[in-house]
Amino acid sequence: MATQLAIDVRKLEKNFGTVKALNGLDLQVETGTICGFLGPNGSGKTTTIRILLGLLRSSGGSAKLLGGDPWNDAVELHRKIAYVAGDVTLWPNLTGGQAIDIICELRGDRDKKRIDEFLQIFDLDPSKKARSYSKGNRQKVGLVATFASRAELFILDEPTSGLDPLMEAVFTDCVSQLSDEGRTVLLSSHIFAEVEKLCDTVTIIRDGRTVESGALSKLRHLQRSTITVSLEGNAKKLAEVKGIQDLQTENGRTSFSVDPDSLSDALAALAPLGPRELVSTPPSLEELFLRHYSTHGQSELKAGEQHG
Amino acid sequence: MVSETSVRIAAAQLVGNRSRYTTLSGFWMLVWFIVRRNWLRMLVWLVVLAGMIPLVIDSQRELFPTQAAREAYAQVANTPAVAAMTGLPYAAATLGGILNIKLWMTEAVALAFAVIFLVTRNGRAEEENGRTEFLRSTKLGRHAYSLANWAVFGAFSTVVGLACAALAISQGLPPDGSLLMGASFAAVALVFIGVVAIVGQLCQTSRAANGLASIVVAIAYLIRATADVKAKNDQPLWIAWLSPIGWGQQARSFAENLWWPILLCLGVAILLCIIALRLESHRDLGAGMLPARKGRKSFGAFGRTQLGLTLRLQRGPIIGWAIGILVFAAFFGGVATAMVDLLGGNTPVVGVFAGHSGNLLDGLLSYFVMTTAMIVAAFALQVASAIGTEESTGRIEIQLSGAISRIRWAANRLIVPAVISLILLALGGFVLGATFGSVTGIHGQDPKFAAYSTSFWPSVLLVIAVTMFLIAFIPRFASALTWAFYGVVVLLSLLGNLFKLPSWLVENTPFTTVSKLNANLNVAPLVVLSIIAIVLLTCGLLRFKMRDTKSA
Repeated sequence: MATQLAIDVRKLEKNFGTVKALNGLDLQVETGTICGFLGPNGSGKTTTIRILLGLLRSSGGSAKLLGGDPWNDAVELHRKIAYVAGDVTLWPNLTGGQAIDIICELRGDRDKKRIDEFLQIFDLDPSKKARSYSKGNRQKVGLVATFASRAELFILDEPTSGLDPLMEAVFTDCVSQLSDEGRTVLLSSHIFAEVEKLCDTVTIIRDGRTVESGALSKLRHLQRSTITVSLEGNAKKLAEVKGIQDLQTENGRTSFSVDPDSLSDALAALAPLGPRELVSTPPSLEELFLRHYSTHGQSELKAGEQHG
Repeated sequence: MVSETSVRIAAAQLVGNRSRYTTLSGFWMLVWFIVRRNWLRMLVWLVVLAGMIPLVIDSQRELFPTQAAREAYAQVANTPAVAAMTGLPYAAATLGGILNIKLWMTEAVALAFAVIFLVTRNGRAEEENGRTEFLRSTKLGRHAYSLANWAVFGAFSTVVGLACAALAISQGLPPDGSLLMGASFAAVALVFIGVVAIVGQLCQTSRAANGLASIVVAIAYLIRATADVKAKNDQPLWIAWLSPIGWGQQARSFAENLWWPILLCLGVAILLCIIALRLESHRDLGAGMLPARKGRKSFGAFGRTQLGLTLRLQRGPIIGWAIGILVFAAFFGGVATAMVDLLGGNTPVVGVFAGHSGNLLDGLLSYFVMTTAMIVAAFALQVASAIGTEESTGRIEIQLSGAISRIRWAANRLIVPAVISLILLALGGFVLGATFGSVTGIHGQDPKFAAYSTSFWPSVLLVIAVTMFLIAFIPRFASALTWAFYGVVVLLSLLGNLFKLPSWLVENTPFTTVSKLNANLNVAPLVVLSIIAIVLLTCGLLRFKMRDTKSA
């Protein structure tokens, strides 16, 4: 069971007229894990999620969700799925509490006690009309309705937009809780700290295509680490070691980057130089992410923006 | 303008005359700003409101070409329905008096609503969405925006009144009566500017402000309706003096031509604005004097169902349309016999109503029931269109991500207009029959009218089916296309004969194809309408199931 895939998307395609929004996208999420779903605006994250929810029909490739077909088995699947949009739109003349009731009732697992619990956790007044809610409060309505659910799979599309830092922390706790209970989460987000803290795996997409995916730890492994060290000996000797780049010495501190395969060579070369205070910085997700954002020209970024 | 204002503020501070400039500075700039943002709306209202005057004078002159015809009309003009709806008739034997009977109430009430919506749009709505805060963070006086708002629309009311007067004079009506008639429209509007000025201070949202001000209009209307129905001769009951609309009527233009009720309106309008300014000084920006209404924290068991949700979301339209439909039905029932008497001659208009039935009264009553059914269809169209609205606002996503099929979701939103329109058809027919009976003394006709009215149900279902079909196939333009379809059908059905269009077209619209009252009921058209409706509905639902959802 542990290796069973909750989401299994292969070579997914979606065309809007002549525009290719998705162009062979792959996304696999194992049951019980949290997967970060990253990509620039307009790269196709929301389109993918809409296909998974059976709101859009794919133009090619395959998508399986909890073993079912997201389009044909939509109604059955939705009993086991909870979803929050990045911009929760509500009925202006209903209160937040009424909207939560409707969303939970539609999913079929309305639990008054859990709703009240999460209303308190997110500090939301359910008796206000939706038209008077701020962006953050509308988002809270979606989050309360979602976390109150006992669904197997949670699909969260940039769920924390508009939340204050305090509420973001609450959100992080709630998602960790889901993970502890063995539920599966697909989290689309632009907040690296959030993804880094929560996610087991990451899938990065660009222009409707998957460009990087895997366990966060493995992805890091592929990247160069930065090492900063104070040396007694002459740092210049390090330049001869294969795999060391960006060598710099400033105020007695030497820093360089090294690829994972050359790390042992680098450490062997460091030892005779009398290292003190060695700091190794793994590549941040931000660096990883930005690398994929900026490898192509800006013009291509714009091409996909219409159909995010 | 900006620099001029700043110069004046600077000058004021130099001479130490601060108080005068801090509450009103920026007034003229804002007058210009409001005019610029609203000139098109004002122009449309002006053209529509003033444009009706020559049109109605013209048609009434044609209808009552001789003094004898007007004298005859004056004898029958005063029915309870006319008194209740459009005001107690007076001077009904003059063209000016007839103009007042036909149009005064429409003009006065429409202008009142116009200024209410416009003042709220530039007052409370601006404050609600935070733009006022932005403006007030500059060197803008506390009362400048409000005063500019009231002043612009006060001037607008005056212009509308003057335009109405000028057009009436140009049509050959007496100048003194015409001017007073125009002044009475403007005067009533000015009082309601005062009302909405205060309401804008009390309510926190523009919806609440428009709602509360509309209730004040409705109460004013009902008070004067009661006074006019309970009139002695051509003088209304004293309670007419409790209603601003009543004051406007009491100017009695084209009869006694009294100017002092206009002055009364002016005085009350100024008083109300002064009170509103006081209130504005005593509250925070963005806040209302009344606490914002809290809603219920959760839904009951029925409210959580799809049917319950649809009924809750459509509660306002359902109640509003139901009242409108019943009032129209009562009005139609009340005027039918009077109209038959009027139309006694052999004019083209008679042909429109009588059709082939030859019996003018039956033809006219059928025409009225059909018109009521068309209003019911407009209601059904609006409610069914909610499917498109839910989709375009993106609210459909959160619902369809629940465990509900698209067809069930859409069906729940179609059943509500379908069933309620059946009820409204029956009720409308019943009320029409009942008022017709009470005017003519032929009682016990109500069930027959109710049954006849429900024979239009397939026509209404067809309109609902077209709505669904267009939402499914052409989502982007569905709303415009559905209303266009409805508009063409209504025009063909009501006025096709007048335009001399081919009779196979005019007599076979979804509404005219239904048999006339008291004729043998022809079932075939009803079956055909139902089949077309079912086919369109099925295609629509299947397409809706198969296509991508569209959202922002």
